[in-house]
Amino acid sequence: MGKYILKRLGYMAIVLLILSFLMFFVYSLIPYDRAVAEAEPYRKGLKTTENAAELYQAKVEELRRELGTDQNVVVRYLGWIGLAPINGKYNGILQGNLGYSYSFDRSAREVLADPLKNTVFINIFATFLGLGITIPLGIFCAVHRGSKRDTAVQIGTIIGYSIPGFIISIVFIWIFAILLKWFPVSGMKTPGSSYTGLAELKDRLYYMALPLIVMTFSSLGGMTRYVRASMSEALSLDCIRTARAKGLVEKTVIYSHAFRNALIPIITLVIGWFIGIFSGSIVIENIFGLNGVGRIYILSLNSKDFEVVLLLQMFYVILGLLGNLIVDIAYGLADPRVRVNK
Amino acid sequence: MKRKKLLALLLASAMAFGLAACGNGDTPPADGSGASSQPTSEEGTPEESSEEPSESSEADAEESTEGGSVAADGTFENKVIMGNTTDLTGDFRFPGWGTSSVGASDQDIGRLTIGYGTQEVAEDGNLVWNDTAVKSHTETENEDGTATYTVEINEGLTFSDGTPITAKNYLATTLSFASPVSMEAGRPGTSGMAFVGYQEFHDYTGEEAEGTSKEFTGIRLLGDYSFSFTVSSDYYPYYFAYTYAAVDPAPLGLVLGEGVDILDDGNGVYLSESFYEKNGDSYVKAAEIEANRYDLTKYPFSGAYVVSDWDASTKQATMTINPAFKGNYEGQVPSIETIVYVKLTQETQLEMLTTGGTDILGGVTGGKDTTAALAVVDGENFTEVHYQRAGYGKIQFDCDFGPTMFQEVRQAVTYLLNRTEFCQTFTGGYGVVVDGPYSPDLAPWRAVQDEIELIDYSFSPETAKKVLEDGGWIYNSKGEAYEEGAEGVDAVRYKKLTADEANVLDGINKTYASVSNTDGVTYQTVEVNGEYYMPLAINWFGSSPNEVTDLISTTLANSSDLAAAGMVVRATTGDFDKLLGEIYREPTYGYNGTPTYGMYNLATGFSALTNLDTSYQWSHDPAWFTNSSNKLYDPYDIDFPYDLKADKLSYEEAVAASGDKLGMDYLSMAMVYNAATEDEFNQWYMGYVERWNELMPDIPLYSNFYYDVYNAKIENFQTSPFRGPAAALLYANVKGF
Repeated sequence: MGKYILKRLGYMAIVLLILSFLMFFVYSLIPYDRAVAEAEPYRKGLKTTENAAELYQAKVEELRRELGTDQNVVVRYLGWIGLAPINGKYNGILQGNLGYSYSFDRSAREVLADPLKNTVFINIFATFLGLGITIPLGIFCAVHRGSKRDTAVQIGTIIGYSIPGFIISIVFIWIFAILLKWFPVSGMKTPGSSYTGLAELKDRLYYMALPLIVMTFSSLGGMTRYVRASMSEALSLDCIRTARAKGLVEKTVIYSHAFRNALIPIITLVIGWFIGIFSGSIVIENIFGLNGVGRIYILSLNSKDFEVVLLLQMFYVILGLLGNLIVDIAYGLADPRVRVNK
Repeated sequence: MKRKKLLALLLASAMAFGLAACGNGDTPPADGSGASSQPTSEEGTPEESSEEPSESSEADAEESTEGGSVAADGTFENKVIMGNTTDLTGDFRFPGWGTSSVGASDQDIGRLTIGYGTQEVAEDGNLVWNDTAVKSHTETENEDGTATYTVEINEGLTFSDGTPITAKNYLATTLSFASPVSMEAGRPGTSGMAFVGYQEFHDYTGEEAEGTSKEFTGIRLLGDYSFSFTVSSDYYPYYFAYTYAAVDPAPLGLVLGEGVDILDDGNGVYLSESFYEKNGDSYVKAAEIEANRYDLTKYPFSGAYVVSDWDASTKQATMTINPAFKGNYEGQVPSIETIVYVKLTQETQLEMLTTGGTDILGGVTGGKDTTAALAVVDGENFTEVHYQRAGYGKIQFDCDFGPTMFQEVRQAVTYLLNRTEFCQTFTGGYGVVVDGPYSPDLAPWRAVQDEIELIDYSFSPETAKKVLEDGGWIYNSKGEAYEEGAEGVDAVRYKKLTADEANVLDGINKTYASVSNTDGVTYQTVEVNGEYYMPLAINWFGSSPNEVTDLISTTLANSSDLAAAGMVVRATTGDFDKLLGEIYREPTYGYNGTPTYGMYNLATGFSALTNLDTSYQWSHDPAWFTNSSNKLYDPYDIDFPYDLKADKLSYEEAVAASGDKLGMDYLSMAMVYNAATEDEFNQWYMGYVERWNELMPDIPLYSNFYYDVYNAKIENFQTSPFRGPAAALLYANVKGF
């Protein structure tokens, strides 16, 4: 197993390297010169200086040297990684420099720290709520397949699955925040509050409740139907018939035998959900004013803050690759027929 | 069984990792002390923006406020929640200093926490001397063409922690931000550029070298409460020269680092040696200055409020009254005890107001949004204040190539656009049509509006045709007479180009062609018997999504009047950066090296009257070029050019000398370099607007109203074009307080 994991990690490193270069290359094609943007305040300050045009051009060239934008894409890539000097210095990812946000004028790490915490905070609750509802519901529907309750759930889930997240958000805001006044419209904490400890957590949860409900509701359809399908298939296996013929109690048949068989396809999704804890929702975070990764991602794209975007994408690539490895290992753990040591 | 446990452990680990990652990231509450400074002399040029009205849902006028601002006995808490859709970043000490963009929210916090500047923006947009901070000030013209501003500040001013404010505090920011040390800390190093001795001081690295000086000769520390600035002859005379003396006080440690002193031995101020101390190649103080940028607890504040809490995680700032603050330039002190600044979401901001999530919804504009916002105004729970925007929306032309280089084409487009209807549709009646580069509340415009003589550009397709015919747009693609109603490439008029016209920009007009030809017809310059004929096909670039772009498309680009006049407007849409890239011909923003578009739609605004300077300059001198974003070369300027070093003529003298043919460059430069009094400035301004109105480098479309809708618990809340919601809170109070 250890050898297998090491081998996979080696492959991952190669994939990561190739992908990172491709992503860097794609962003380098976008016609945008950070040096020009950075020189703008300097240009404004020049005003009537006689040789303003020359001074401005010299400043742009100086900034290009500093930022490395006067180099070719390979040198810039190596500089970004930390394998080549930019302006005489090795200052890339390998040296701990994860990039700089020129919009926020601070390191990319600082820009992403708080949004990532907020995203993880809400996603953890959404994931557990989602899985806590969808798996039992899917099993219930599979067991009572064709019943009126199953039909009702099928209709409900397909509606939830079909409606875009922003519409669900707006409708839920109208119902729960405007009509019923149960929750705040948006925001992350009571304005002006300085709660600490449990009171702070309570306040945070109160503000997170509505987006959480929306996220959970939006996720119900897909997973419920997936679990139902998987369980239905498992329940029709010969081994289940045999288990029932042996006289095992229905609960044991369903949860110990059928669900175990249904678990393999579900594992992929469940682990995907956990990996997704780190991904922000652009729509939900924007509508509810949550300072999360999804919002920062779209803000950075719009403001051409590519070092932040690159860092985020690299993070997701790493998560994706690790997720695949975990899924493969989990298959082996869940299904004795699968061996992961090769 | 073991495998199941392992799987459970794996999932549990993922959860634990996640929970650990989302620990409490709040910053501890500040102690309410601190100070700040932002040199107001470095005010930026007017913003240029796409006009993208927000969308808000209809609100129920019967809704009443909720939240924690109303006590059980019906009285209010002395607290106001204010929101903005722009993110707060925590950059409150020097909002936007050294960056290419400034966050409106950070600026609002800056306005409330930075005070005692020598000059402040008054309600009419003028920078005025702040009598609360300044005891006296003098302006002296020197024989060498420089001018010295001497300022004496009042004794007894203190920062929020009680530390006295002295002359050194007023000089600290300029000195620091002119030095290579703060450049290493990420500042542009341009502060104090207008003062004598800037370059030598700027180049001084801590070691003596030729051409450098540790002393900033143009800045003098004359006493504990007195200092002076000497403006170099490059920057003087200048109508707004007095604004170079606009500085804010800052704690020395905040901008210079701890232990640095400001000294003056009689030759100019300088910084003590510790400021230039190095560790290897780096300045020790650079890291300290950089770290101080986001400090909110170590150093005190000078403004009406102090930032008492900043939660970077939730983007929420709380400000409380600075009891040591003695007032703004009018002596106004705040009444509202606590101001909470929150992040709003465009889609739900109106609902935030009605449910108590915010007490103020500022800057609502556009017909649909204004109507929705006004629906909640009932006088009892919510009320509103509105003002004319200090700026206007416009169609902007590139005037150096293509059909739009011709005055008659720009005028014809203006006649073909029903601006009254356009304004009514876009603003929903909450705006007015403007006829020049002004907003109706702009002081110079108000001064001249009764006597100015402008061309009436009311909607008139017939006049448009006549103007075009007079301008020589009378041919078809074969060089024969244009016939109305023709089809294909002859559906538009053509103009025979002179050799000069054909050869502009390396002969670009010889190959000029329409783009985005969705109907399959490409109009291009044709050569007939050695003569070039240019088609009346304008390439227009509009940002998208943008309601103004949509409206121009329906009311102008696709109008039958335009087609009947023998003109086509080809629409291309894209993001706003691309639009700016095309305007400024900046390859790094998507410009491909060849001018393509002759027409754009955007908006412009003024944050203070000093903005009129750079926004009005027109020149082909590269040093000024980027201010002249229309690339308009007025022929009058060739015959009678402006010379910065020549004797300063009065308006009448210049009119006489030029034969009543003053060009845009001359007028715009003389407006700020020849005018010495307000009357003179207004006279040049009137001449400028009249010439502008003839040449029509832009089509002004509308100047819209901004509506600030707010909770009726707030009293005396009076916003105006140059006094936004944050500044107006200084004058406001909560009912009962």
